[in-house]
Amino acid sequence: MDINTAKTGSLRWILGLLGKRLPLYLGAIVISALAQSGTRIANALIVKQIITAAQTGQISGVHLAVLGSFMLFVLCQMLWKFSIARYNTEGAKGVASLGKLVFSKVLRLPYAYYEEHHSGDFMSKLIFDTERVGDIYSSRLRRLATAILSSIAFLIPMLYYSAHLTFCLLALSMLAFLANSLLAGPMKRAGKALSQSVGALTEKLTNLLSGMEIVKLLPAKAELLADYRQANGRLFQVQQKSNLYTAVTEGLNNFFDLAGALAFLGLGVWFVSRGLVSLGGLAAVYTLYGSFRYQFLDIGKYFPQMMHCIANVERLREFLLQEEADLEPAYVHDKDLSAPAVSVEHVSFSYANGANGRPILTDVSLEVQKGICVAITGESGCGKSTLAKLLLGFYRPASGTIRVDGPIAYVPQEPYLYQLSIAENIAWGKGNAESGEVSREEIIQAARIANAHDFIMKLPEGYDTIVGERGNTLSGGERQRIAIARAVLMNAPILLLDEATSALDSESEKLVNEAIRRVSQNCTTIMIAHRESTIAMADRVIRL
Amino acid sequence: MVTHKTKKSALWSDALRHSPWLLVYLICAFLVNAALIRGNSYITLAADAVLAGENITFEEFLIPLCILALGGAVSACLQSACGSTYSAKVQRSIRDRLGAKLLSLPYAYFDGHGSGSIMSRLISDMDAMGRFFSETLPILLMDCITVILVTAYLADMDVFLIVVLFASYPVMLLVSDRLSKKLTAIVKVQRSQMDRRTTWAYDMIQGIEVGRSFGLYHRQKQKMDAVLDEIAANKAASTKISSLAWSLKSILTQIPLVICYLFALYEFSQGRVSTGELLGFTVMLGRIIYPVGDIIFALNEIREAGVSMERLQDILDRAPEKSGGSFELPQEALHGQNTEPAICLQGICFSYGDGEADTEQKKDEPDKPVLRDISLSIGQGMHVAFAGGSGEGKSTVLKLLCGLYQKHQGEYLLFGKPFEEWDLEAARKCFSYVSQNTVLFPVSVWQNVAYGREGATRQEVIDACKDANIHDMIMRLPEQYDTIIGERGARLSGGEKQRLAIARAILKDAPILLLDEPTASVDNENERLLTEALERTASGKTIITVAHRLSTIQNADCIYVIEHGQIAEQGTHEELSRLQGAYARLQKCMAEQA
Repeated sequence: MDINTAKTGSLRWILGLLGKRLPLYLGAIVISALAQSGTRIANALIVKQIITAAQTGQISGVHLAVLGSFMLFVLCQMLWKFSIARYNTEGAKGVASLGKLVFSKVLRLPYAYYEEHHSGDFMSKLIFDTERVGDIYSSRLRRLATAILSSIAFLIPMLYYSAHLTFCLLALSMLAFLANSLLAGPMKRAGKALSQSVGALTEKLTNLLSGMEIVKLLPAKAELLADYRQANGRLFQVQQKSNLYTAVTEGLNNFFDLAGALAFLGLGVWFVSRGLVSLGGLAAVYTLYGSFRYQFLDIGKYFPQMMHCIANVERLREFLLQEEADLEPAYVHDKDLSAPAVSVEHVSFSYANGANGRPILTDVSLEVQKGICVAITGESGCGKSTLAKLLLGFYRPASGTIRVDGPIAYVPQEPYLYQLSIAENIAWGKGNAESGEVSREEIIQAARIANAHDFIMKLPEGYDTIVGERGNTLSGGERQRIAIARAVLMNAPILLLDEATSALDSESEKLVNEAIRRVSQNCTTIMIAHRESTIAMADRVIRL
Repeated sequence: MVTHKTKKSALWSDALRHSPWLLVYLICAFLVNAALIRGNSYITLAADAVLAGENITFEEFLIPLCILALGGAVSACLQSACGSTYSAKVQRSIRDRLGAKLLSLPYAYFDGHGSGSIMSRLISDMDAMGRFFSETLPILLMDCITVILVTAYLADMDVFLIVVLFASYPVMLLVSDRLSKKLTAIVKVQRSQMDRRTTWAYDMIQGIEVGRSFGLYHRQKQKMDAVLDEIAANKAASTKISSLAWSLKSILTQIPLVICYLFALYEFSQGRVSTGELLGFTVMLGRIIYPVGDIIFALNEIREAGVSMERLQDILDRAPEKSGGSFELPQEALHGQNTEPAICLQGICFSYGDGEADTEQKKDEPDKPVLRDISLSIGQGMHVAFAGGSGEGKSTVLKLLCGLYQKHQGEYLLFGKPFEEWDLEAARKCFSYVSQNTVLFPVSVWQNVAYGREGATRQEVIDACKDANIHDMIMRLPEQYDTIIGERGARLSGGEKQRLAIARAILKDAPILLLDEPTASVDNENERLLTEALERTASGKTIITVAHRLSTIQNADCIYVIEHGQIAEQGTHEELSRLQGAYARLQKCMAEQA
């Protein structure tokens, strides 16, 4: 019972995403289903008219009647066309709002989640799962609704022509339906397994892609490929299992199809001979039954598929219900210049909960006054970078308090550049370059401060050069200076550099340090560093 | 374009290889249809008999119909199973092929294409392709069978009916062709929008650290929302066309149907057809005429799938890395018995653009040459280093040596043999490469190191880790060697990641060790541990280091200073220091920092 309410809950939730357009969407489904049934009924009418004409011998008037039915057919068809186009348009909007929801969730998770989960996992969620759930809008719901609505629409004229025969055929269809619904449960489970296998495969793929330069040189290349193949094989097996259920369903349905014909033969002919139904009526009922049976069994076919999708909805909802990170930075703004820019009091932290987590920080306390430049040093693995993540609010301390006075501009050791133009990458510091929130002048200004302007101008397309993932055209120092330009544009009161120069050659380091010196004049600067040259720039050194 | 057509075989060969399944599927489809038509004819006969006032015995019809129903059911079950097995097998083969292909693509391909767009092809296009093999193709073939049966059935009635039936074909073809071309154009746009979505999403996830710290959430969301809205708008445009196509198809199918009905009625009035036959004909035709239109309008779906196939084919068509020859050095020759220099370069030139990823770059702009006229010779067992400013092409030299990039001009001899004559895999066995970006996989620590050598034992892995000075750290991890490392090696410090990569290189035990900035991102303590580890493993090996910290390369046998892609100076630390040139400038730069 609980499971059922959860299912209807999931369905209601997914439909709720359509908001005010839901009536329009549902209306389009109903109209398209009725229009579609209308075309079939028009067709049955034609058959009935022909047979009745043949039986009664009144052939002369039949052409007009048939033409009338044909016009009804065309009318329904046009109605269908417009309603289905509206439906698809609304459905696509639903898919888009779902995508937006999932994407925004993906960006709002606690930081630990990104470190613990594979990006292949995210991608599979964003693409495969979301597309499967989106299918509810774009096909699944309509198919099921059409099957139900059309079944009813066909039943009415069937009952009108011959109630007896219709009831008998209906009973038979019910049997088929029951047989079908027995398979709904296993099919749903198969659907869940399928989406998990796809996720696993995506993960293996990401492994291959992410370290291509190393993968190519590793003897274990074959092993990584074998991993991928294995995941592929597993997906195949799961696919086959789910296919088996489909096959059994298909077999059952075909059996009932011919059994239906059998029943029709037996009963129909008997009814006609007893005068309970006219031959024209019989032909109409059978034509309609052909469509009805199809639609009715479709209920059985699409119902498990819908369950399949709802299983995905549940998975996606679980994901969407994940705890979120607090994106509003928890800083206080103290106008008092003597108040510390950063204060850390008795902070302890370890990544994993429980006993097996390595304690990274134990009872750390420090204070950084406004306007000064501080270097934090310490041995490798002593938690310098963790401290940075705590200051940035990526993690919350297990105990103790952290106060940060104002937003922080952050420059990590290996800054990530998005697959965008250099201008856009820098502009992210402040706003969106595309929408003109940030002017080109501001970007250039920031790049100059960061000692990046000159090398950018030497690139073939200057500020419009696309960089990214494997921006091989840029060296580490160049990337770092772009990151600093980004930080400059943010114009935050605190600048945090995590080993910003440690991966740089001395020439780049000189340029970067120059940039840091320039920027740090206007703000509080915290440098996590181990190099003498960096530490030398600091007003104060804190050893962890 | 021409090469495209001729090589279409890769996907199709997979489709053909598994075609026995499809064949069984078709036979079953035929049986199902035949059962249906056969059953129908029984009904016709029975109806005629009843209407003529005869008594029909149910046994006469019951038994054959029961057999037909059972046979039909079994055939349908088999049909579905074979069809889906076929599709699943084809998909698996293609995915296997794509995976293997990815590994054989030149490294430059990945420079030009982001992981996101490659992923998009492998996920979304594969999905679309899967639908083609699981739905479109089998249904199309089954429709073909139905059409043949219907045609035969109609021909049995009157040949004229076939003319009526097929008269509508040219019109349908015309309509369908027009619309599907329009639709394909929209689908192509849609696919590239999907690419952008995937690329963008992948980018956001990979760069979450930057996104989070700069508070980019709202702006990134805005951007993604815009892409998603575009996709929805595009869908709205395509649905207008496809729904029109469907409507026209239905109407165009209905016209011959009605004509056939009227014709049958006419035949009946002429007394050439019995009532039962008329009944059977109308009922049957109404149920099976739709595939006639479906076949033509399947063009839409085929073209749509064609877009995805083209994109997958594009990956498969890419030339693999050139592995020119089959030359392989015997194992003992790699370890000192060969007197040739390990590496000899003559007038090597290189620029990024001319490589594989050229399609997306503007041809009119000359590419910045990265390396110009590099000539050098490195003897076996020597320790050489490349120094120079950033962006001067030091790392590129290493990538060129191990064949990640191909030189454009000049000659490259590896152990005295031109690199082109080497078997690429064999050549790469000569190198251990510790790159600037440490790559760790989301598997256990143990597995990560073991990737360095096929069939490495646990003890060998532990020994390598001890040599790399990382064993102690590993033992402190919650599950020691079985601890799973995050995708980007998160939660290990830079130095720890680097030492794991070195342990992997140690395990590989190749005669040439390439080190790209090995001590760059580590503190003094780590640097000492690293240098120690390297000294321990370096004996007898040729070591080529790229470094900007001159302290790490002071003891090198020869230092090459690279400036503007050329060798500006070469010699030992002492010689270069005396020269007062580029090296001295670097030294001065260092001194100023300290």
